[in-house]
Amino acid sequence: MRPVAIIGTGQTNHARCRDDVSQPELVREAASRALDDAGLQPADVDAVILSNMELFEGRALPELWVGEGAFANGKPCMKIATGGTSGTSSCIAGFHQAASGLFDIVLVVGFEKHSEGHTQTGMALTDPFWDRAVASGALGNFALSISQYMAERGVSEEQAARVAVKSRRNAARNPHAHLSDANATIEDVLNSRLLAYPIHLMDMCPQSDGAAAIVVASGDKARKLSAKPAWVKAAATRHEQPYIGDIEQRLLTMRTLRDASRSAYATAGITEPLKQLDLAEIYEPVTYAELAWYEILGFCAEGEAGHLIEAGVTGIDGELPVNPSGGVLSANPVGATGVIRVAEAAAQILGRAGAHQIEGAKTALATGYGVYAWADAVILGSAV
Amino acid sequence: MSERVSVPIEMVQSWRYSSGDSMERFSNGIRHKRIEAVKCGNCQRRYLPPRPVCGNCHLSLTEWVPVSDVGTLEAWTVVYLPFLDGRTGELRDGPYGMGLIRLDGSDTTLNHFLNQNDPAKLAVGMRMRIVWRDELHGAMDDILHFEEVS
Amino acid sequence: MRTIRIAGVGETGPVQQDRRSIPEMVLGAVDLALADAQIGHGEIDSVVTASVDLFDGLTASNIAVTEVVGAVMKPEARIAGDGLAATVHGACQIWAHAYDTVLVVAHAKTSMAANGKLTQWAMDPIHLQPLGVNFSAAAGLQANVLAQHDRHAEKRWARLSCERRAAGTSGMAKKLSQSEILASEITTSPLRNGMCAPLGDGACAVVLQAGSNAGGPVLSGVGHDLEAHGLGDRNLVHWAGLTRAFDRACRVANLPPADARFDLAEPSCFYPHEEELFLRATGIDGGTVISPDGGLMAGCVPVVAGMSRLVAAFKWLRQTGNAGKRALVHGHWGPAGQAQAVAIVDGGL
Ligand SMILES: [Zn+2]
Repeated sequence: MRPVAIIGTGQTNHARCRDDVSQPELVREAASRALDDAGLQPADVDAVILSNMELFEGRALPELWVGEGAFANGKPCMKIATGGTSGTSSCIAGFHQAASGLFDIVLVVGFEKHSEGHTQTGMALTDPFWDRAVASGALGNFALSISQYMAERGVSEEQAARVAVKSRRNAARNPHAHLSDANATIEDVLNSRLLAYPIHLMDMCPQSDGAAAIVVASGDKARKLSAKPAWVKAAATRHEQPYIGDIEQRLLTMRTLRDASRSAYATAGITEPLKQLDLAEIYEPVTYAELAWYEILGFCAEGEAGHLIEAGVTGIDGELPVNPSGGVLSANPVGATGVIRVAEAAAQILGRAGAHQIEGAKTALATGYGVYAWADAVILGSAV
Repeated sequence: MSERVSVPIEMVQSWRYSSGDSMERFSNGIRHKRIEAVKCGNCQRRYLPPRPVCGNCHLSLTEWVPVSDVGTLEAWTVVYLPFLDGRTGELRDGPYGMGLIRLDGSDTTLNHFLNQNDPAKLAVGMRMRIVWRDELHGAMDDILHFEEVS
Repeated sequence: MRTIRIAGVGETGPVQQDRRSIPEMVLGAVDLALADAQIGHGEIDSVVTASVDLFDGLTASNIAVTEVVGAVMKPEARIAGDGLAATVHGACQIWAHAYDTVLVVAHAKTSMAANGKLTQWAMDPIHLQPLGVNFSAAAGLQANVLAQHDRHAEKRWARLSCERRAAGTSGMAKKLSQSEILASEITTSPLRNGMCAPLGDGACAVVLQAGSNAGGPVLSGVGHDLEAHGLGDRNLVHWAGLTRAFDRACRVANLPPADARFDLAEPSCFYPHEEELFLRATGIDGGTVISPDGGLMAGCVPVVAGMSRLVAAFKWLRQTGNAGKRALVHGHWGPAGQAQAVAIVDGGL
């Protein structure tokens, strides 16, 4: 792909219910902040990409109503939606459009207002013949695959709880986070309500109202507009067969994320991710998934994830900080969640991540994940 | 601060889904407690639910193989949160057991309810059997749930 | 920018009701496109799909087609909008040098649910949806504005609908005379039943490939645009968004928008007044053949619509005597043409 870079990011203050704004206004909040961050005006934007799970708000073609919030009127605009990976896939679509030569500046905005719809209804609209009668949402799917992961790798509930503790504590440094607690403890997690064995409330990502945006610039523009752009080193997407039962031991093998990350590592020249990455913003819908992704992403050997979290390797002061923002466990406006991963990774490279900045961050990984095991991997760097 | 204004809108929506050839044969089969999977001629993978192509090989699936009503529990959970039934919009109260069961003769697993909701009594590797509903009508809920093979 | 060849096309329908499942129907289009392009699935680098969850009654609706479009362990992006927008994105992927061969696929089945009810959910839920406004009401409002000072409009639209219906070969559109159309039931005044493109089921697939124009028609320009949503925020008698999309596509194709010449135009017209809006917005004149197969009036599948026009243009350019000619392809979605997409296709050498 021709060179492109992220030169600005913006996020709303994510919360359980943002009834102070409409959906277009929510989008406007993130889009304006991203343009401000990039030092651009709405008129500088050549094309817009929106990301959103339309059925969570019970909408069809939501870009028609909400596009205005992203300054899209009178501009080329389309909406990308691929389930959980909608946000990361929209960012990748933004990279492709900015690299196409058709546009210099592409604004990507993801949003979700769970409080304005019924997420369970959206999640329940699965294959009408096969599993709609038995579907139990993302929660049921995750819980099922966790039982395999625990049985095979001997991961403990306490190790998983450490992921939630790290997330809540990191989120306390992030003003955009929906859930944060600088004093969260393992006991808090284990004592929180059991949703689906072994997932406790604090193990699971929330449903948030929120939006996030990135400004993507073509190579030449990025050099002109930014002293220190976050260059896109690699981006890969892999989709998977459609049924939960198609996949062999999803958390254990997760061939889509494994292959997407390996492909991205190869393009970006990364052979030792734990050493070469300065941070990772990964899409962890549930604590156990973060542990599983450590193994899938090659941060440690199979079966070592529990020790990695115990040793603090992925803590904010560790060798490879994972989700210094607090991650998906701390804010999850689904259509925006993947954009947040990429925006957070970019903000780290741009040196504008605030209180959760990783000093001298030069190379960052962002990933996307969907309930059907779809995966995206994006690597950003401080040099082209 | 003035009062927030919100506009409530109720959605009532229905669709008619065509099942497709392979799912039609499968549905007619379970009406008679007969389960069949489709098998890929290339990778030999036996698929449930039946479908037009093998996504790994991109080849049409035309060969049918019989599948047992007994299989192995590959994954399980107990759901405590009430969940929506996507067909009716009714809530299903917890706790209820769920499992991924690999029926003998199939390579994929089936996502369904278990008649057991005590985590202490569930384990990966258990042998499970289909419990059929009394009145069969050719849909997935002809399977009431799975029970442990004693 | 490197040349993008349209290597092959495939389509099923439009038919009033396709009794197959969505994956089966989509597989039909994909198999035809791959056979037409004479390539196997292994040669596809990336897939771009187009579908709308609420139309399909399925969350993340591309889940139903992931296997049949061959996206397992491959990149797939899904556009929730017209397939021509998905084509624009597929072209961007190739021009970005991200992928060399991209399969673009769109599908919809209007037989599954009342489409007029579904499109209400695309309207602003605060101001417009509570009034019951849907895409068909928006089109009626637009046509009414056009007809206000034009007392011949209805007759002209009836004649146009009659001609387009007569040219259709899909078997979907009833052949109706001008007077039958003028006597047909009013849907949203001044539009009548006989003026509405008959909605049905279908899927389209197109293979885009980096290459040279020696191999057949090439995609030489694309453009798209989103207008304001509010009907009162727009001048309904002008498709300004289409003009912008058209200008962008001309720029990409290195054509002067003011006097670009086209041998064929394939507009997406759900209603006859949209053809007049299309001509006005693009400046197309008498020298251009328009919708020789009847266009959408001969059978229309929302989401697939604009892409079906691309397939029609491609087939026309491949006919004897049409090599080297140029076609303008159009798609739109949203109320009164809020979102617009354009593609310019040049016949091979
Ligand atoms: Zn196979």
